[in-house]
Amino acid sequence: MGFLISLLTTTSITIVGVTGVFLITGLTGMFSLGQASFMAIGAYGAGVLAVSWGIPFPIAAGAGIVLSAVTAFLVGLPTIRLRRDYIALVTFGFGEAIIAILNNTVQITGGAMGLMGIPMLTTFPLAFGSAVVVVALAWNFKRSRFGRQCLALKTDELAARSMGIDVDRLKMTAFVLSAAVTGYAGVLYAFYTSYVEPNNFNWTKSAEWIIMVFFGGIGSLSGAVLSAIILGSLPEILRFASEWRIVAYCLIVLAVINFRPSGLLGELELDDIFKAIRHGRKRRSV
Amino acid sequence: MVAFQLILNGVSLGAVYAMVAVGFALVFNILKFSNFSQGGVITVTAYAGFIVNQILKTNFFITLMATAVIGGFVALVVERLAFRRLRTKQSPVILYFVSSITMGMLLENLIVISFSSNFYSYPKFFNTTVVKFLGLTVATSDLLMLVISVLALVILMFILHRTKIGIAVRALSMDGPTTSLMGVNVSLVVSAVFFMVGALGGMAGVFLGINYTLYPQIGQMIVKGFIASVIGGLGNIAGAVIGAFLLGLLEVGLTSIDWIGSGLAPVVVFFVMLIFLILRPQGIAGKIIHEKA
Repeated sequence: MGFLISLLTTTSITIVGVTGVFLITGLTGMFSLGQASFMAIGAYGAGVLAVSWGIPFPIAAGAGIVLSAVTAFLVGLPTIRLRRDYIALVTFGFGEAIIAILNNTVQITGGAMGLMGIPMLTTFPLAFGSAVVVVALAWNFKRSRFGRQCLALKTDELAARSMGIDVDRLKMTAFVLSAAVTGYAGVLYAFYTSYVEPNNFNWTKSAEWIIMVFFGGIGSLSGAVLSAIILGSLPEILRFASEWRIVAYCLIVLAVINFRPSGLLGELELDDIFKAIRHGRKRRSV
Repeated sequence: MVAFQLILNGVSLGAVYAMVAVGFALVFNILKFSNFSQGGVITVTAYAGFIVNQILKTNFFITLMATAVIGGFVALVVERLAFRRLRTKQSPVILYFVSSITMGMLLENLIVISFSSNFYSYPKFFNTTVVKFLGLTVATSDLLMLVISVLALVILMFILHRTKIGIAVRALSMDGPTTSLMGVNVSLVVSAVFFMVGALGGMAGVFLGINYTLYPQIGQMIVKGFIASVIGGLGNIAGAVIGAFLLGLLEVGLTSIDWIGSGLAPVVVFFVMLIFLILRPQGIAGKIIHEKA
């Protein structure tokens, strides 16, 4: 039971993180290879406030989220107007820089030893509730005017621009929002494991999340959540084969990219599928 | 003389970064994506060089050459598994990108499984660790790194500009479909590019292994190659070389400053890159690559 609860909690946290990645990669087609560093900022921001100053959890969590969002804004300022590759490269460099800072501010963050003694306040209901709320937010964001503009931008940036969409501002909004959500995932993670170290947040973490979004189907939130559940819990279930799990995981993803490039669900959302099923039934009954 | 030693350090480090950055620029040129699998190739080759040396007791040059060849073949396998099918199906660039990240992770983790996460150190290849040169004392490994990297880059430039396959590569970087229509075997050219890039990565792997220690994450040094490419201009080979040398000098310079040291150097480098992007987003070389409409 304890294992199941912990599995569900970590999976919920993964869902929050992957939803953050979906907001940028799934909606706008930009890649952030430093997404894990926003998680680190959220985790360390809230963690340090709670450990060193004894700030209560909700305020610390809020501060962690705001800090992630503000940093994303600053990083996005020079890069967001450039070709999409630059965002991937700059966020990659940003991730390295954040890890270097965390490793070298020993008095504040504990350096490579990690930050210890964060109160364990992330319970399963909190993690699960957060996942539901965040997914609902992303769902509505995708369906809103913003979301539709994002989809236009992902398909063809030039066309979107000429239709009068403020592309730069839209990209920035998506980037900041995704950083905030990822930062919250970091907060949940830190207050769940009670211990964080810089290496938890290197670029492979960011890459893992991008892979999850892809595995589920780029452009499909349901797919992202589904693959966060499958790929996120798979490593935990396959603990006994821990050495091989990442290899297995990579092979699965390579197979998906090569043979079903649209991912599990493609652009489909769950309600599209339900609609299709209901529609099919109706037709059959007629 | 300390200053001279630092500059030489920086230049030779820059030369290694240049091999990585040029490999990155070459692939970017023809397939238009950032090839993250190169990190995995570098990790594999760094270990391959170590093993070749341990088993066959080869000297430095033979080890390096063997590793370059191995790197070339590893890159060929990577191309076959991760990109060939995508290319024939004309998939969107995003998929190449994800595929290359996955491939990089896969190679790195295969190394972790085979060798655990332990650190190994490369054997001492040279009896004399320093050479006297015009009255200056220079570390042998630094000097060799510089000479061999520059030589490799010169050979690459020769291939690109003076041979048939090089012309095909450059044609492909301008316009893929037209090149194909002109009767060029695109698959062959892409394979050739990956072989060259892999060979460069292989040599870089050995140098990085000698310079630092050998560990599975050594391939993540490719980030230096990327930063160099951004400074130099994405997909621009000459720019990548210049950017790499500047980066090498900058890093060595920063490391020598007490309060920055090797720990905070990446932070400063990141800010330099940001400033570069604000002031000159097209890079040193100056050509903006536009997203195709």
